[in-house]
Order: sequence, then C-alpha cells, then structure tokens
Amino acid sequence: MDYTFQWGVALRYLPDLLQGAWVTFHLTFIGFWTGLVVAVFLAVGQLYGSVRLRRAISAYVVFFTNTPSLVTAFFIFYGLPEIGILWSPYVCVLVNLVLNAGAFLTDVIRGGVASVRVAEMEAAETLGFSMLQKIRYVIVPHVAKVLYAPISNLYIVFILGSALAAIFGVEELTGTAFNIASETFRTIEIYSLAAAIYVVMTVVASVVLALVGRLAFRVRARVL
Amino acid sequence: MAQIELRGVSARYPSGGQVLDGVSLVVDKGEVVSIIGPSGSGKSTLLRVLVGLLPPSAGEVWLDGSRLDYADRKALTAARARLAIVFQQFNLFQNMTALDNVTVTPVKIRREPKASARARGEALLRRVGLGDKLGAYPDELSGGQQQRVALARALALGPEILLLDEVTSALDPEMVNEVLDAIRDLANEGITMLIVSHEMAFVREVSDRVVMMADGAVVETGPPGQIFDAPRTERCREFVSKILRH
Ligand SMILES: Nc1ncnc2c1ncn2[C@@H]1O[C@H](COP(=O)(O)OP(=O)(O)OP(=O)(O)O)[C@@H](O)[C@H]1O
Ligand SMILES: [Mg+2]
Repeated sequence: MDYTFQWGVALRYLPDLLQGAWVTFHLTFIGFWTGLVVAVFLAVGQLYGSVRLRRAISAYVVFFTNTPSLVTAFFIFYGLPEIGILWSPYVCVLVNLVLNAGAFLTDVIRGGVASVRVAEMEAAETLGFSMLQKIRYVIVPHVAKVLYAPISNLYIVFILGSALAAIFGVEELTGTAFNIASETFRTIEIYSLAAAIYVVMTVVASVVLALVGRLAFRVRARVL
Repeated sequence: MAQIELRGVSARYPSGGQVLDGVSLVVDKGEVVSIIGPSGSGKSTLLRVLVGLLPPSAGEVWLDGSRLDYADRKALTAARARLAIVFQQFNLFQNMTALDNVTVTPVKIRREPKASARARGEALLRRVGLGDKLGAYPDELSGGQQQRVALARALALGPEILLLDEVTSALDPEMVNEVLDAIRDLANEGITMLIVSHEMAFVREVSDRVVMMADGAVVETGPPGQIFDAPRTERCREFVSKILRH
C-alpha cells in the first residue's frame, strides 16, 4: 500500500459532488414518481382493460423488467436521434427511468390488487358499493398499505441505479465524481465521498418515506 | 305472506360441482327460520345465493312476490338494500376501524348525515358490548369481537331481512347470551331472519321453524319441537341425535 490519502483535495470538490447529488435527486424523484403514476394507469388497464390492451401492457412490462436498464437507455440515447428525436442526455435518462420504473411498478401494483381479500370485496358487494366505491374504500387502502414498503425499497434501488446516467454524460453524482476523479487522480477519495453521499441520500429517503408512511397509514380508510 | 321464497334453487361454484340441489323454502315476513345441517351441506352457499353473490344455476328466488333478476344489477342492488348478512368469516374491512366498518355504508353509500350515522353506529357497537372498541381495527380484535362488529354493521343498515351465518361460533358463552338476546330483540321487532347455527339450544328457542339441510338439499322442515324431539326423517334423526349428544 503506497497510496497516500489526500482527503483535502477531495473535500475541496464537495460542493461539486453535492451539486451532482442534487441532479441525482431530481432525476430519480421526477422519474420514479412519474413512473408510479404511469404504473397505476397501466395496472388498471391490465386488470380491467380489453384483451389487446392487456397484451400490450404485458409486452411492455416483460420487455422492461427483463432488459438491463443500461441497454434500454442505449436504445433511447442512440436510437431516437436516428428517427429525428433529439433529446438532451438528461431527458433521455429520465425517460428511460420512467419507462423502467413504470414497468416494475405495474407488476408490483398488480400483485397488490390481486391480494385484495375476496371476503372484503364480497362484503362491499352485498353492502351495495359501486365499482368506484370498492376501489376507493377497499382496494386503494389495501394496496397502498401492502405496497408502501416494496415501492419505497424500489425507489432506493432506482436512486442507486440512476448512476448509469454518468455513461451518457449527465453530471449527476456518479458522473460528477467520474469527472473530478479523472482531473485530480484522487480516485479513491472522490468515490468514497460519492459513496458516502449516496448512503446519506438513501438513508434520508428511507427515513422520510417511513415517516410519511406511518403518518399516512395510521389513518387508513377514513369514514367519519 | 312469503317474504323470501326459493323455488328449486340449485347452485354451483365455478370451480366445483353442484352445491345446492333443488332447494325450495318459504320464509314469511317476521319469521325466524334456522338452517341446520352438517358442515359442507350448503348452508352458507344458500345465504350467498340470497345476497346475490352466487346466482343460482337453476330455480328462482323471490323477494316479496317479485322474482330476483341476478342479471339486472340495479334490481339486485335494490334487493340487497333490504337485506343484511353477517358472514361466517365476518368479512370486515381490515383498513377501517370498528366504527367505520359500521358507518361506511350509511355515510358513504347511502349518504346519510354523518352525525346521526355515527351516533347510531356507536349505539349499536355499545349494544353488542364494544363501546370501548370503536377505534380498533379488525386485526386488533378477537374473533368474537369481530363477529359482533359484523353484527352491528348489518344492523346499521336497518334491514328487513337479516341473514346470520354462524354468528355465535366465535363467541364465549357469556357473549353468546348477549348476542342471542340482541337477536331475540330483533325477532320481536319483526325482522325476518334466516339463521345458520350449530347452537341447538338457541335454535330451538329462537326459531319459528327449523330447516335441516344435507348434501345441498332440504331434508326436513318443521317447528323446533318436531325437528329436535320427533324428526320425521332418518337423516334428520341421525344428525340431531349426534348433535344433541354433546
Ligand atoms: N368458494 C367456493 N368454491 C368452491 N367450492 C366451495 C366454495 N365455498 C364452498 N364450497 C363447497 O360448497 C359446499 C358447501 O359449502 P358451504 O360453505 O355452503 O357449507 P356449510 O353448510 O356452510 O358448511 P359449514 O357448516 O362448515 O359452514 C362444500 O362442499 C364446499 O366445499
Ligand atoms: Mg358455512
């Protein structure tokens, strides 16, 4: 071991890394939660839609959940310009994130809806609930509760996975670290710092999600 | 006057064979009729047919002189508004408190004012001994307590017809008496009741008539005195003697 740590150099670049972390944050925040909205619609389509719609949604889900997101990102980054669509690297990566998160979340939500207890649906039926009322008072509270933890975990996975944006020149946390490391050659220090920032981000995200979950699901389905 | 009439009702589950086989039964307004019979004989299924969860594969169900059309959702909903069922498995909404389980239909489906629905819900839960559990979720309640919430939920609908599936099975003896008192009061108020029960002492006391079922068919119908003391069919004699022995 003749590597001499020079943390001073690395720390000088802390503001740049934090700037990168901010990009990571909004990239994944916008991408993932947009993906969730997409997934809610797709899950509904898959459960109640026509056969053709179901097939189309399944094809989409199967494709994106079985392809490395790096590969789909290459498709978007290099493929779309071929047909005249020119997006910035940030937008390419964001769209890729939405499509991937949308696919994974569609599967997750469908599983959650499938786990709604038959007994509760039957009770709602005999009590005269309409389809919309069943969704609102039985399905949504159940799905929100059982899926909150898996979706939170998936969000963390997507924060970490967003590092692939670096490959396309997006200056998020990993991309920034890569650039600084190749300028300063303080590779280990810079990446250690970047890793520490990732840890802080995911821990903060977990804690915030856990707190929100606890507040939101204390109330569960409210009537009065 | 016949309030409920089944004419040769047969039923099957999509996944299985025939469960009800030509059941005919008349229940008059204000009558309390109990259904007894071995496990798997189709008692719960009969109630499911009445609340429209399982359309009969043959035969007809009549309510107050009009035939129930299972394909007509509106008519089905209208018929259901007059019925209430307490399921064998309670079927409570797991994400609602006891009070919300009782008030959700009056408030959200029937659009009654919240304050009166709440007062009535609280009174009903107190009546079944759950005045201190208004805010508890089903998974925080014992089986017997959940059963009583389910009973309160049914009563909150002010039904003309009450279907009770084994409402005393998860109750301790003390609570059985309280629930049975409540049911007796309801019977006195003139609510038509169809009760599935294994509680023979209760059945004998509360019923105007007892229906013995086996293998998806009605074996014998008669006043409690006949069914328990002088059954006319061998199958009924056999079942009753087995049940009364312990
Ligand atoms: N959801 C279902 N799908 C398929 N078969 C069913 C279903 N529910 C009940 N069955 C079958 O129907 C028959 C009658 O069941 P049912 O629940 O009506 O009996 P029961 O008389 O209420 O019995 P118990 O006294 O045990 O409650 C049984 O053989 C049972 O296996
Ligand atoms: Mg049963």
